[in-house]
Amino acid sequence: MESRHLWKAYEAHLVAVKDVSFRISEGEIKLIFGPSGSGKSTFLRCLAMLTTPDKGDVFLRDVCLTKPGVDLNRARARIGFVFQHIWLFRHLTALDNVELALRRVLKLPKTEAKERALQALREVKVEEWAHHYPAQLSGGQQQREGIARALARNPDIILLDEPTSALDPELTGEVIDTLRDLAKKGTTMLIVSHEMPFAREIADEMIFYDEGAIVETGPPEQFFTNPQSERAQKFMIRLIKKTKRE
Amino acid sequence: MLGGVSTTLAISLLSLLLGLAIGLPLAFIRAYQRSSSFLVEGFEKIFRGIPEIVLMLLFYWGIGLYFPFPFKSAFFTATFVLGLRSAANQSQIFRGAIRGIGEEQMVAARSLGFSKLRSVVHVMAPQVFIFATPGLGSEYALLVKDSAYAFVIGVLEIMYNTNVIRKATMDPVTPYLVAAFLYILLTFPIATWLDTWGSRKKKKLGL
Repeated sequence: MESRHLWKAYEAHLVAVKDVSFRISEGEIKLIFGPSGSGKSTFLRCLAMLTTPDKGDVFLRDVCLTKPGVDLNRARARIGFVFQHIWLFRHLTALDNVELALRRVLKLPKTEAKERALQALREVKVEEWAHHYPAQLSGGQQQREGIARALARNPDIILLDEPTSALDPELTGEVIDTLRDLAKKGTTMLIVSHEMPFAREIADEMIFYDEGAIVETGPPEQFFTNPQSERAQKFMIRLIKKTKRE
Repeated sequence: MLGGVSTTLAISLLSLLLGLAIGLPLAFIRAYQRSSSFLVEGFEKIFRGIPEIVLMLLFYWGIGLYFPFPFKSAFFTATFVLGLRSAANQSQIFRGAIRGIGEEQMVAARSLGFSKLRSVVHVMAPQVFIFATPGLGSEYALLVKDSAYAFVIGVLEIMYNTNVIRKATMDPVTPYLVAAFLYILLTFPIATWLDTWGSRKKKKLGL
């Protein structure tokens, strides 16, 4: 997946995505981090075309998603999206949440859809809660179910927008374990996250994003030992202090 | 008189269903199709603004003159008019529910590859319906009461029969008291049931 010179502004003075060019290849895991309000979420949403960019292009494999007339529903069916606040379908059980798109978007027959949905729930270890409604699950279970929903269609890439930041600290661990499992299987992922030990462990590349632009890109070690930009340096120091306090 | 009960119940329930079938799509048009929402707004203004009794007489005597089928059926006309009036009300009830459910559910559905229409059908509409059920209870109660207007175009419902009995017995008190009691009996259980079912379901799903 790729973005070329992507722009998105909410108001003239609030530019969330400023000429961002970015590329992620099959099997890679990249992690975006940076101050809140810097436009990371907007960038992720532009990639999935959930927010329409003002300028620039987004490519998924060789399909240009920003070209007028392209079938965006079809493209989105190839992209998994995990939301910060999860946003499960509250009227459906865990199983139905995962099964719905398999049945109604991919048009799989009932038995196959169910089998695949159960498989996805198994992968994130919420299978035993398959017949519970989201409101009956803990935040961590809900987010793992959200990941199962995104993953069940076998998307080309999964975009995760701060998957742990809305959770209580004691619940982030189980979600991170799930992501670690996905990483082992070679899932292509772009993750917005501030879980630094986790980032260091799984990310092929880290991206420091600030004021709507990519400030610095590099392997995790670079950020932990020797960040090149002053802004990234300051941010890392603050983050590490905060992690230690916790 | 009891023969009128089933007619009153039929008018009320059928017009509630007609109102649902029209009102729910209207609410979504108004929420998501900005370009045609003025039509919905116009429809709502007309059917909420004109007294039911005027509409029933107009459709039965006036429009029925040119379209004897189906408007010469008093039962049909009464149900039709109340159904459209209810659609205007329900459209507003559901619009509130759409706001209550929030944009997030829509975004989540779109992220999976659902079209706008399919997101509405599979994700939004079921939740909006549950969210709005307590409100539908009061809408049903309103319909039971307003079905009494059907008396003026000669539908054989509770009021019509009450009037016949009053004339025959010359008793101006008892028939009306019985009618009042029957209306309460028809409204209360179903309205309460809708309210509790909806509230319970909402709580369970965290809506």
